Order: sequence, then C-alpha cells, then structure tokens
Amino acid sequence: MAASGFEGFEKRLELHFYSDDNDPTVTMGLRLIDFDSLKKVLRVVQCAVVSAVGNHFFDAYVLSESSLFVYPTKIIIKTCGTTQLLKSIRPLIHLANELGLTLCGCRYTRGNFIFPKSQPFPHVNFRQEVVYIEENLPEALCFRKASVMPSKNPSNSWHVFCAGDGDHLSAENTFTVEVCMTELDRVMARKFFKTSHDSSVSKHMTELAGIDNINPRALICDFEFDPCGYSMNGVDGDRYSTIHVTPEDGFSYASFECVGSVYDDQDDIVDTLKKAVQVFKPATVSISTTSLHRREVWTRVSRAMEPFGLKCRSFAMDEFPATGTVVFQTFTSPCRK
Amino acid sequence: MAEEGQVIACHAVDSWNQQLESANKSDKLVVVDFTASWCGPCRFIAPILADLAKKLPNVLFLKVDVDELKSVAQDWAIEKMPTFIFLKEGSIIDKLFGARKDELQQKIALHSSA
Repeated sequence: MAASGFEGFEKRLELHFYSDDNDPTVTMGLRLIDFDSLKKVLRVVQCAVVSAVGNHFFDAYVLSESSLFVYPTKIIIKTCGTTQLLKSIRPLIHLANELGLTLCGCRYTRGNFIFPKSQPFPHVNFRQEVVYIEENLPEALCFRKASVMPSKNPSNSWHVFCAGDGDHLSAENTFTVEVCMTELDRVMARKFFKTSHDSSVSKHMTELAGIDNINPRALICDFEFDPCGYSMNGVDGDRYSTIHVTPEDGFSYASFECVGSVYDDQDDIVDTLKKAVQVFKPATVSISTTSLHRREVWTRVSRAMEPFGLKCRSFAMDEFPATGTVVFQTFTSPCRK
Repeated sequence: MAEEGQVIACHAVDSWNQQLESANKSDKLVVVDFTASWCGPCRFIAPILADLAKKLPNVLFLKVDVDELKSVAQDWAIEKMPTFIFLKEGSIIDKLFGARKDELQQKIALHSSA
C-alpha cells in the first residue's frame, strides 16, 4: 500500500428540495441556477466543470474531481480527492431559496478513505463531518441520523448521514446503487492511462474497457485525466450513471453508481452490475443500495457478484430518515482476506 | 457584415430557413447549437462558443432554442442539450452531444479546413 496517493473514494452529497408554493410539478427548479453561481460553489469545493450535457429531465456535469447532477428538485454531487464537499451545502441552500425552493432532505455518504490523514476540514473524520453538516442544515430538518455501517474489516465501512423534515417524502420508486471497487486488475487498470493526446482518448477508453456496453442506451460524457484517471457520466432518460477510476497500482480504485426503478425487470440491475464489475475485475467490492420503498433490492446485488467468485463477507442494513433502507455489503475474492 | 464573428440566434422558422439556404449556397462550415434556456450545460458552453465565433469569422454559427423553434428541434430529433450539428453544403457532416470544449474545437478545426 502506497504511503500516499490520489484518494479515489468519493464523498457524496444529495439534497432534496420542495417548492414553497407546494407545486408538485416544479418544472425546471434548480436547473435555473445560473452557471456563474454554480461555478462559484464548485470553486469552494475545489473542483471545476470539465464537460456537461442535459436532457428534458436533468443536467449532468463531469467535474475535475467527479460528478454533479442537477434535477429540478434534487442535486447530487460526488467528489473525490481532497475536496471540501460539505462546504457546498450552505451556498446551494441559498441559491435554491432564491428560486423559491426549500430544503427537505439531505443525505451524505462515503466509504473509508484510503488516505484519511490527507483530508482537510471538515473531512478529517466522520464526527467532524456530521457536526459540520448539522451546523449548516436548517432546523426544519429535525429528523437526523448518522451511522457507520460496519463490515468485517474495520477499514472498510460505510458512513451515512441523513436528515429530513418528516414531510415531503420523495414519490420516486427508484433505488440507488453505489459500488466501490479496490485492488483493480492491473491489466484492466492500464486501459485508463493516457497514451496519446488525441481528442478521442476518453472515447477509446470507454470503448476499450467496455463501459459503453454497460448501458448501451445511455449517452456517455467521458473524460480522461493526465497522466491517468477517467470519469464518465451516463445519461439515459431521467437516470444517471457515473464511473470514476483511479488506476494507479497501490491505491487503485473505481466507483460505479447507477439508479434503478422498482418497476424494472429484476435482472436489469444484476446485468448492469455484472458488466460494471467485469470492466475492473477488482479483488474487493463494497456495494451500498439505498431504497425508499423497496428493501429487497440488495438480494439482486449479491447475485451479480457470484460469477466473479466474489464472496459476500458482510451485510449491514439500517433505516434512515427521508432516505429509507440502506444496505451495505462487502465482497472479496477467496484468495484475499 | 455586422453578424460575422457572432453566434446568430434564429428566433423564427423563417430566419432559420433563410440562414440555412444562404449557407448551403456557400461552402462555409455551419455549426448549429441546439440549446435550451433551462439547461445548465448550455449556459456553460455559451461563452466558449461566442469566443470561437469571434475567432473564426469564416464559420457560420447558428443558435436554435428548442422551445422557441419546437418544430425545428423535433424535425432534427433533438433530445440532449447542447447538441452541435455540423453542416456543409446542405448535408450533416458531424454531430456532437454535450458541452465538450476540446472536442468542439477539434471538430470545428477538422471540418473547416476540409
């Protein structure tokens, strides 16, 4: 294990809003935040927009250190490295208020940092993060819960903080799957090292690694970093997917996140996860599924890992305000503990 | 001409058709930016596009708002924004989905020199 290197493990923040006049059909909402204001928020977090695309449902931005998704009443930011993600909470609430939108839900999740000592305030430890979030949330979000979901390995756990106002529950029948992979197969990881200065390097990486095959319907916005590293956002109707890769040996990491619906065919998410893990052939995988209305999504996740010889080593399930059920599972290949 | 070096916004189907017709008669590269006022990525790329238009007066840059010119957006099956369509002598020679600065510059360079 390297003494220090780029931190692949992301911090993820999701904020939900409702419109002051209680209009359930807010049309554009947060998408109307002007770009300069958005840029300022990202600067506070220490990242910048690299490429972006939008459709009738949402805007997707590839950032210098991960991704941003803006829906009319929901924002999701996922950043890696040593970004100060939580500093975006206050300015985002303010910008939303200016558009007549009020915060009703907040969710913050992350795995374990590979290099925790490199993290700046307020990310030095989970306690500091929770205290900081609480200081910046309006009182109306009075239902709060913070938890560290364990696995058999103390340096592999899932940190969750959720807060809600007890009302304005999302009607979405969707679930989110967050996959963190480490100890990537070296041959697969090498595909994410920049080998030329063409305009289509990232497209090559996407195709070579088979990422375009994970969801062939999705429009992919990809980006390659110098000298190595890769990010992509997938846009398919109202669903996003996102992949971020830190390929260096010693601290290799890849994340995959996607959204599914409880009305999907049961095998869809299994196939998607199989294809995603196939790209990286990792030795360790941890998967967190979050679902408001259906708890049994996690069973499909285990099935997806079977063909890779990845055995489930731990399982944890918990309920959180405004968010629902979070299940955290870890998988490793038998030859590694 | 006053409009050279600028991104020309087409606010009506008539002006859109006019612009296309005159461009088709020349061998100028035409870059059409299909944009939406509520789409953040379009706002991100707007100043970059304006800058390119200033630097490349020999390329015709047109802007179409998908709500203003709904029929045109439908005819061209625009689903993602921004969508850049590259035209030469009346034919579509390339497309780019999304606000991607480097790729946009590279495609313009590729097609304006051909």
